[in-house]
Amino acid sequence: MAEPDDIAIGIDLGTSYSCVSIIENGQTTVIPNEWGERTHASVVSFLEDGTVLVGNSAKRNIITNADNTVYSAKRLIGRFYFSDEVKKAQAVMPYKIIEGENNSVRIQIRDNVYSLPEISALVLKEMKSIVENYLGHEVEKAVVTVPAYFNDNQRQATKDAGRIAGLDVLRILNEPTAGALAYGFGKDITQKIAVYDLGGGTFDISILEIGKDVFEVLSTAGDTYLGGDDFDDRIMTWLAEGFLKQNGIDLRLNKYCLQMLKEASERAKIDVGRDGSAKIRVEGICQDPSGKVMDLNATLTEAEFNRMVMDLVQRTFKVCDEALQSAKMTTQDLDAVILVGGPTRLPIIRTSVKHYFGKDVMAGIDPDEVVAMGAAIQANSLQDAKSNHYLLDVTPLTLRVGTVGGYTDKIIDKNTPIPIERSKSYTTNRDGQEKVKIRVYQGESSKAAECEMLGEFEFSGFRIGYRGEVRIEVTFEIDTNGIVNVTAADVETGQKTSCTIRLSSGLTEDMIKVAKEKNARATLARGEAAA
Amino acid sequence: MDEAFEIEAQALAQVLDELDYFQVLKIGQNASPPEIKSAYYRASRAYHPDRFSTLPAGELKDNIGRIYKRINEAYVCLRDDTKRTKYLADVLGPERQKKLRFVEASEQELKKEKEQEVGATPQGRKFYMAGLADMAAQRFAGAERNFKMALTYEPNNPNFKAKRDEAGKLIKNDMSIR
Repeated sequence: MAEPDDIAIGIDLGTSYSCVSIIENGQTTVIPNEWGERTHASVVSFLEDGTVLVGNSAKRNIITNADNTVYSAKRLIGRFYFSDEVKKAQAVMPYKIIEGENNSVRIQIRDNVYSLPEISALVLKEMKSIVENYLGHEVEKAVVTVPAYFNDNQRQATKDAGRIAGLDVLRILNEPTAGALAYGFGKDITQKIAVYDLGGGTFDISILEIGKDVFEVLSTAGDTYLGGDDFDDRIMTWLAEGFLKQNGIDLRLNKYCLQMLKEASERAKIDVGRDGSAKIRVEGICQDPSGKVMDLNATLTEAEFNRMVMDLVQRTFKVCDEALQSAKMTTQDLDAVILVGGPTRLPIIRTSVKHYFGKDVMAGIDPDEVVAMGAAIQANSLQDAKSNHYLLDVTPLTLRVGTVGGYTDKIIDKNTPIPIERSKSYTTNRDGQEKVKIRVYQGESSKAAECEMLGEFEFSGFRIGYRGEVRIEVTFEIDTNGIVNVTAADVETGQKTSCTIRLSSGLTEDMIKVAKEKNARATLARGEAAA
Repeated sequence: MDEAFEIEAQALAQVLDELDYFQVLKIGQNASPPEIKSAYYRASRAYHPDRFSTLPAGELKDNIGRIYKRINEAYVCLRDDTKRTKYLADVLGPERQKKLRFVEASEQELKKEKEQEVGATPQGRKFYMAGLADMAAQRFAGAERNFKMALTYEPNNPNFKAKRDEAGKLIKNDMSIR
């Protein structure tokens, strides 16, 4: 057992909801806030008086304080400004998304500009303070989870968010792996399991082999553009088109109406999953040209809903095929399937997953809380030298370097156990060359344009010689967090060279320092409990 | 921290670059896949960095990190039957010292290998495929003709030559049976 003052917390930082857990008296416990809420909307609302509201009460401000309320920040974290996801978000988000230096994404709230890690840091600060309120003392160590399919940029940005929130991030842990840890297994038999993790904004599938004390991830695959939000979008389109046909007004053209529509869609999805049908009623959603206030009324049946989302469900199974193939397995080789993430409550998901894997699914632990619980277990075990389980995780994406003509060369394959490193030699190709530039990518295509760029590294400070005379060995390392580090050394002298990252979506050390001070000053408003 | 372990870790880190993957995982060169896996689990139990996360930064922690990365590297190579066979040949060969760390053929090399297999030119590929179809249907004379045609487009393709010779032999056998 860790000392009380040494307690490390587990945080599931989700796209839509976050959750925090600790190990208390040997029990994994989800910590509720002062109103008994166990999951908290990942929404940050900046109030007029300068305070910040986070969680379910902030979520209600998406409509009333739309310009100053940020949600789904996880969809944008670690992305470049020019990416499609950012373009898509700009079209639908009521808050202002602007371009920062080095192609990064920033959010403008009144006269203040925030980076994505700063926004997520406010959610983490709230999670931290929920535990501190509960325990009555400060905590600073944490394990924070990310989708297994997150790339290096996204992992690094999440880690930065933790640091900005004043947390010592012990580990960036993959969400499906956390799910498996929470379920435990680890009895005397070896089992092969699949973790089907459909969250608010991302989908992951991991295949694990679990022995007495070992959790070995055999393969992982995912889609960071697919989640419960997309199910809401389908309902939203259906509602908006129905309304357009009936009244000739497109609700999607007004960001205010759009938010009401979005909220109604999320509620309808939950209702239809639980009750088999949903009555949708939004009073005063808009006014017609003559100024008459109009209501939105509709009924969504389960059959209709299932038809709308079937292709999304099928897309998850394409990803499952990929993961099984990488693990050189078929569904018959699996002993169990675990469901993780709120949307897995939907009957359509349960039935389809059961059908695809040909076996009953395990959902004994609340799918909204299971990831945070796994994170707490890992946090506790990292604090305990006598810990009795070992987590063998993998890197989800192939690491590559850019070569001539827009192509890339493989450095480290996807599904390679981490930590791992690989070196590659480079020689200078001009007399008196002072710098070597290397572009690093992650992805499954040999074409650079189809991969995600992690950054451009520039090495200097080696000997100056004739062409081909100076050899530099570049070492690519993926650490236990799945984060990539690149270093270089002069082969002959062993002299380490200095490195500058020229192109990156990330924050510099100085920026993190400033952001950390800003975060420490921010006052979290205590709103009333969600209705 | 156990003193014996500290000494062991330091010693292992020192000789790490002279060990082959079998030595890193402490198994024989003819170890079976299940033996490789349990050796990997055993090594993970001893050296997984998670066990040492509370250890202050320093030489011991760096050494453990280096050793564990090599354990993973060894496992990645040895768990794959194709890679293990090639690696074993590498470390038993005269260039053992240079080949202790397995380097996969680059994608370009693999592409070249694949091209040699099925042909690098559209016409070569076409005749080669037709030849394979003939072979499957036991039309050996037709197969030989197609492989010869394929060779006119890619005279140096070793795979095409091998197939032509194979078809040639089968024609003779076929005749002698009749």
